[in-house]
Amino acid sequence: MNKKFDRVAGIAFLLFGILFFIESQKISDSAYGSTVGPKIFPMGLGIILTALSIRLLYETFKYKAEDTEKEKLQYKKFFIIFGSAILYAFFLEKIGYVVSTFLFLLIAFQTLERGKIVYSIIISTVFSVGVYYMFSGLLGGSLPGFPLF
Amino acid sequence: MDTLQFLADGFGVAFQWHNILFALIGVIIGTAVGVLPGIGPMSGVALLIPVTATITSGMPTGAAAASSIILLAGVYYGAMYGGSTTSILLNTPGESSSVVTTLDGYQMAQQGRAGAALAISAIGSFVAGIISLIGLVLLAEPLSNVAIKFGPAEYFSLMLLGLAAVSGLAGKSMTKAIMMTVFGLMLGTIGIDAVSGIARFTYDQPILFSGLEFLTIAVGLFALGEVVKTVLEKDEETGSIAKINRILPTKQDMKDSTVPILRGSLLGFFIGVLPGAGATLASFFSYTTEKKLSKNPEKFGKGHIAGVAGPESANNAASGGAMIPLLTLGIPGSGTTAILMGALIMYNIQPGPLLFDEHPEVAWGLIASMFIGNLMLLVLNMPLVRVFAKIIQTPKKYLLPMIIAISFFGVYAVQYTTFDLYLLIGCGVLGYLLSKNDYPVAPLVLALVLGPMIENNMRRALTISNGDFSIFVTKPLSLIFIVAAAAWLLVPLLLKLKGRKIIINEED
Repeated sequence: MNKKFDRVAGIAFLLFGILFFIESQKISDSAYGSTVGPKIFPMGLGIILTALSIRLLYETFKYKAEDTEKEKLQYKKFFIIFGSAILYAFFLEKIGYVVSTFLFLLIAFQTLERGKIVYSIIISTVFSVGVYYMFSGLLGGSLPGFPLF
Repeated sequence: MDTLQFLADGFGVAFQWHNILFALIGVIIGTAVGVLPGIGPMSGVALLIPVTATITSGMPTGAAAASSIILLAGVYYGAMYGGSTTSILLNTPGESSSVVTTLDGYQMAQQGRAGAALAISAIGSFVAGIISLIGLVLLAEPLSNVAIKFGPAEYFSLMLLGLAAVSGLAGKSMTKAIMMTVFGLMLGTIGIDAVSGIARFTYDQPILFSGLEFLTIAVGLFALGEVVKTVLEKDEETGSIAKINRILPTKQDMKDSTVPILRGSLLGFFIGVLPGAGATLASFFSYTTEKKLSKNPEKFGKGHIAGVAGPESANNAASGGAMIPLLTLGIPGSGTTAILMGALIMYNIQPGPLLFDEHPEVAWGLIASMFIGNLMLLVLNMPLVRVFAKIIQTPKKYLLPMIIAISFFGVYAVQYTTFDLYLLIGCGVLGYLLSKNDYPVAPLVLALVLGPMIENNMRRALTISNGDFSIFVTKPLSLIFIVAAAAWLLVPLLLKLKGRKIIINEED
């Protein structure tokens, strides 16, 4: 168990619980024709989560920190793929499905393992074009296919 | 016999050519999902919901729902078959319910009996699948007849029981599991309240009015969460695949495994029916039972065929048993069934006692297709086991980006908003962080699905009682459910205080 993460998560959930409780107070009290309004359920949840977070924080003081050996995480690869996924989402409607998917796949393939660029290009093309025509051609769905210039 | 008539109609649905095709695709993808470590049945099903939704978009709602649930359920039980393949051949379980299979299965493979182990697990899974389906057919009608008499108070308490059971058994820390459940319930309140029409926690963002889409969150937390994990953590090299010499088991093997298969099937079925306890728990239980009852327990762990036959039957039977609470009560007992339920709700079909009356083609079509699917798996698995084992060699560098691309496509094709894509990415990172630190995500998804229903039933019950909360404990059935829910949370806690080790269900 990771003590640091548990503390941070405990505090984050605590704040979320309190915020949820406060915000739930803004919901109107009772609905027409019903004695129990839309407020009570979220309010109760806010209280429970707050209580549980306090309990979790209390637990983090009880157990001994385990010396977990530091694993080497591949942050660089992760952030490149994470970044390109966000860009992919951002550009999907702007430059169309085919082009954005092709670029995303190509970048991601090459990030995970350099080399064999020809294979990467072939697979990316087949996937992006294939999915697009299967979906919009055969199934009649609508996707923003290509850039609208 | 009404049930037989319905079952016959169900076969009528299942034998439509496109449904046979869907079942076939489902079980093949399911087997692949089971073989690939990293993608469990939950992420597999979540990933395929949007895909099936688009494929079936041209059909009328009822038929579309039947077809897609046939495919998705195929993925679920297909994964149970596939998971054993890698456990036996590579000593790496493809999913958590096949962990015990490695104990004896890999030993058998080392002794050159890989083929027999694989065959026995396929046969065991098949027998278990059929037994659990017979149970499903027998129990479905009576159970839904009981459930139809439930009022809102009973439903509220029953759902509470479902949530308590899943959080009580999930993960290492119960505090964290309950936190995740509550968090899921909270996320479920976002959007316009179905009863009063008041917008809650939307902050005037039109995109939030319909609430957070369950599908996006499930795909993000499970499928992308796994991708993030595999990208970040260097994957170990997979070992060499054991050779398969002879596929058919010997007569002695069959004799040794008949009883374990039957025992495992029954045990697995009943564990599967219980909410919260899933396939993983069933396979563990079956293994320990077989070991205890065996005349020579020292053989276990050294390649004893009963150690493969029992657990493999149990996990498959459990996946069939888990369908019962989902279909008859509308209460999913595990993460995967929660996702299946989400899929049905997407088609505006409410699982529960009325399902058998209102949409018999969905309920009975699914049951009938599971017979067919299990048969297909048996036929496919025996000769094609070598091919399936090869799937594990799919290079990760191609697999991971494609999973991202498929989930992007799926979510966008259903939702048509970029907002959901960002939410998807966020959930992926969140899912990794949470499950890495023992915060189980399955209760979160379950709570997200059940949340609105729990709230509605609670408010309806309270409206009946004029705001008096005692309605939940004065109605006898409701009281039983609440006591059971409390017991489910308290008993493990008490056992822990006594210093006993408890089994937890880590289902992905």
